[in-house]
Amino acid sequence: MKFLTQLAQLPPEYNPFWAKEPGNDALLWIFLTIGVGIVGMLLLTRVPTRARRPIVWTFTFLSGAFYVIYYLWPMPIDRDAREIPQGFVEQGGFFMKDALPRVADIANVLTFLLLCLGIFSLTKIHSARVVKKQKDWFFSVVLLVAMVVMVIVGYWDYILKEFNDPNALLTKAENWGTVNYAYDLLFDGLIQQMDAAMFSMIAFFILSAAFRAFRIRSVEATVMMASAILLMISLMGAVDYQWSELIKGWTGDDPAHMLNNLNLSQISGWVKNYLQIPSIRALEFGVGLGALAMGLRIWLGLERGGVSV
Amino acid sequence: MSTPEKSFWDKAQTLDRRVLYAVLIVLTATSLFFKTEIPVNPDDSSKDLYVSLMTIDPSKTVLIESDWTNSTRGESAGHFEALMRILMFRKVKFVVYSIADAQAPQVARDALMRIQEERKGQGLKEYEPWVDYLDIGYFPNAEGHLQAVGNNIRTAWGGRKERDDTGKERGIFESPVLSNVRVVGDAGLVVVVSASATIDIAVERLYGKVPLAFMVTGVMGPNALPYYQAGQIVGIGVGLKGVYDVEYMMKYGVNYRPDGATKAKVLYKEDSVVVAPVTEGTTMDRGARYFLPLHVALTLMILAIIFGNVAMFASRRKKKEAK
Repeated sequence: MKFLTQLAQLPPEYNPFWAKEPGNDALLWIFLTIGVGIVGMLLLTRVPTRARRPIVWTFTFLSGAFYVIYYLWPMPIDRDAREIPQGFVEQGGFFMKDALPRVADIANVLTFLLLCLGIFSLTKIHSARVVKKQKDWFFSVVLLVAMVVMVIVGYWDYILKEFNDPNALLTKAENWGTVNYAYDLLFDGLIQQMDAAMFSMIAFFILSAAFRAFRIRSVEATVMMASAILLMISLMGAVDYQWSELIKGWTGDDPAHMLNNLNLSQISGWVKNYLQIPSIRALEFGVGLGALAMGLRIWLGLERGGVSV
Repeated sequence: MSTPEKSFWDKAQTLDRRVLYAVLIVLTATSLFFKTEIPVNPDDSSKDLYVSLMTIDPSKTVLIESDWTNSTRGESAGHFEALMRILMFRKVKFVVYSIADAQAPQVARDALMRIQEERKGQGLKEYEPWVDYLDIGYFPNAEGHLQAVGNNIRTAWGGRKERDDTGKERGIFESPVLSNVRVVGDAGLVVVVSASATIDIAVERLYGKVPLAFMVTGVMGPNALPYYQAGQIVGIGVGLKGVYDVEYMMKYGVNYRPDGATKAKVLYKEDSVVVAPVTEGTTMDRGARYFLPLHVALTLMILAIIFGNVAMFASRRKKKEAK
């Protein structure tokens, strides 16, 4: 434990491999990590089926155990960087606190490997579809071309801005070259606009659904509709304001007058605070308990779906 | 046997949806041309948000978690731009980072550049990267990352480098923006501008360590309001109404009475709190442009619901009478 504490507390001048400066051996370590990841995955595919479950469970358990222990172990508060831990509990706390960012880094590396896996899988499936000329193969071509073009242009733009622009001239559009314009066209001109267009379509469906399906057919539907209309009106600042001015006129601007309760913001606030928020809280509580139960099952290897291979 | 002729109400119930779509497009698009100032009573949560932003210690850095893309720009862009304007007016240094969507940093960067251009056009000081703000990009693994930030921000962000004002690449904690941040609690405020569930993670991992404020979409509002009610966040702007509320307070302040005025436009729960308006640059912009279309769209929605129900009851009555 002492060794681990010391390891976690290495001062920056030791320059451990996880804190390599970009431009030194960082690229070597990145490729080494990718290589180890690929070899690891290939080795896992060679492992006998019976051994896969224990391997997956062991890694799952160790990963989960770190966070569980981190949550339960007493942690140092307002610790000085040069402070030396005393005793087992303090050493453990120091180690856990120092190790947490490294564990988060491991999760980031795994995320990267998963991204690679996703790209590989996408390329494999859609290439096969194109080669075999399966149904809608043309869309697969569009997907593959879009992916490749975006990756190339995106990285090219990134390299130009990050490594070839020491005076940050490319932050201004007037200094852009073809690649920067191409990236801007693809990202801001296409992806982002399509993103906005897709989302804005919801408005049409909501209006259509409001007209066709929002009908008073039961008491529940009536209550729901009344509260929905009330909340919608309260979002319309002009209506809310004019109504409150009207009430002010009736009450003579007396804040203690009973009629102030008829303010739309008061009513909608009451609906939100006493009906909506408690309901959401109850829902979240249920979801939280479910997530906890599911997490425990996966962590302890009881969930077949969690560790099945 | 001839089929009975359909009444007006029967036909109304089966109205072609394209008619509804056309009405929606025409009315909302037309109303977009009018940038109007509509008097409002800002929500209490928006008032708390504005008061928090306007009373942060300017020597403290604000951390902005920008997790929105253009799919929610109608709301989130307004939130983000208003936040930028307030912080730049108050000369507060800030850091922008994202944890939910890899596209989010570029979208935030574009919005920041828009505000910079606007300030340049108005003859106001532009914020300088490295000196006044840092844009440190995307961090994957939201849950693990925010936990690491809460645990030790210096190690969680220790690997990030940015160019300083001379063009040399240096660790971000050497920047004047973060040099005074040793632990996350040294930041003045963490503001989450989000259209996703990262608000939950922010509360789970950072609550109690640093004050939190949210600027969220209308859809995420109900999820976020329990945190406000429980006092876990200092303020929250919800949806387009939230954007307009903040812009309105930027123009008129809170409990603020200009010379000669007998009453403040926006009253606050505490009489002793007086927050001045933002007196430089633009105050009412995106919220003011979109607030009228919001009114139009909501009115249309309410009318559609009422008309649909009236048609249903009228049609039923007709059928009963025919029998």
